[in-house]
Amino acid sequence: MDFSIRAANLEDCKDIARMIMELAEYEKVSEHVKVTQKDLEQDGFSKNPFFHGIVAEVPEAQRTKDGHVKIGYALYFLSYSSWKGRCVYMEDLYVMPEFRGKGIGKALMSKVAQLGMAAGCTQLNFTVLDWNKASLDFYAAQGCSDVTAALGYHVMRCEGAELERLAQP
Amino acid sequence: MDFKIRAAKQEDCKEISRMIIELAVFEKMQDQVKISTQELERDGFCSNPLFECQVAEVSEEQKSSQGYTVVGYVLYYYTYSTWMGLTVFMEDLYVMPEYRGKGIGKGLMSKVAQVGKEKQCTRLQLAVLDWNTRSLDFYIMKGARDMTASEGWHALRFDGEALDKLAAEAPKD
Repeated sequence: MDFSIRAANLEDCKDIARMIMELAEYEKVSEHVKVTQKDLEQDGFSKNPFFHGIVAEVPEAQRTKDGHVKIGYALYFLSYSSWKGRCVYMEDLYVMPEFRGKGIGKALMSKVAQLGMAAGCTQLNFTVLDWNKASLDFYAAQGCSDVTAALGYHVMRCEGAELERLAQP
Repeated sequence: MDFKIRAAKQEDCKEISRMIIELAVFEKMQDQVKISTQELERDGFCSNPLFECQVAEVSEEQKSSQGYTVVGYVLYYYTYSTWMGLTVFMEDLYVMPEYRGKGIGKGLMSKVAQVGKEKQCTRLQLAVLDWNTRSLDFYIMKGARDMTASEGWHALRFDGEALDKLAAEAPKD
């Protein structure tokens, strides 16, 4: 299958917003999505963007039954390790179900790795839910390590009323 | 004990480097620290810094046995959730052992929450090693939830040869 990977632009935000919802539905958390197409446009395409995106596109002849040619994306940003310096964090990686198994997910992830390394990053980090065996297997096959399983890293989060309380001086 | 929490300056990078190593020793991973003071200076104090830092300082009278007055730090940066928008990630929180139990750790963490709130962050996230029950308890008392234990979030990583190999396989532009 022919596909191309390129940097996302402002006009892609509509399709990225669509695919974010598709990914959230897959992860069974669609009611948690608050980010809108407008938020993506402001947050990703201003002078100091909070994230960068890449999209996977297929030719018109292979468009989906709903007419989409943008059929996958990855969203990433630079983060930091106080031990290793610059890192790249891959927030989302998604390929529409009918386009899976054709190397598109791998190509998107490789591109994030390449762009990260070009920016001086020595780690590519991301998170996966433990029940998501298909994704865990995919990533393991690419050679990543599970830092939670191997080293015992637990991700912790503070939000809502607890975050308000913490922010009191 | 009197202490002050303030934004780190470039000149603090030497002390921050020292404390990064102290924290790594505590986490039993001191051989993993590859970063230099110069990298911290370059990455944290340029026009588009990759992280921010707050330090905790005590007065001269309360300096440590080795003469340090900068006795704690918190290093953090901003991340993006495609569900919730901007979040703040607390990469390191450290207070020198002899200054613990005096509210300095809480002061540093609250400062990050405040700074995040001003930027409209909806979440503060961090990672803790599972054997570090003292820190896990500290964070849970501050209102954090363990997302790995409760929802099964696993942190995955590519580095070293695996990262090189993945990047080499990227499609040509």
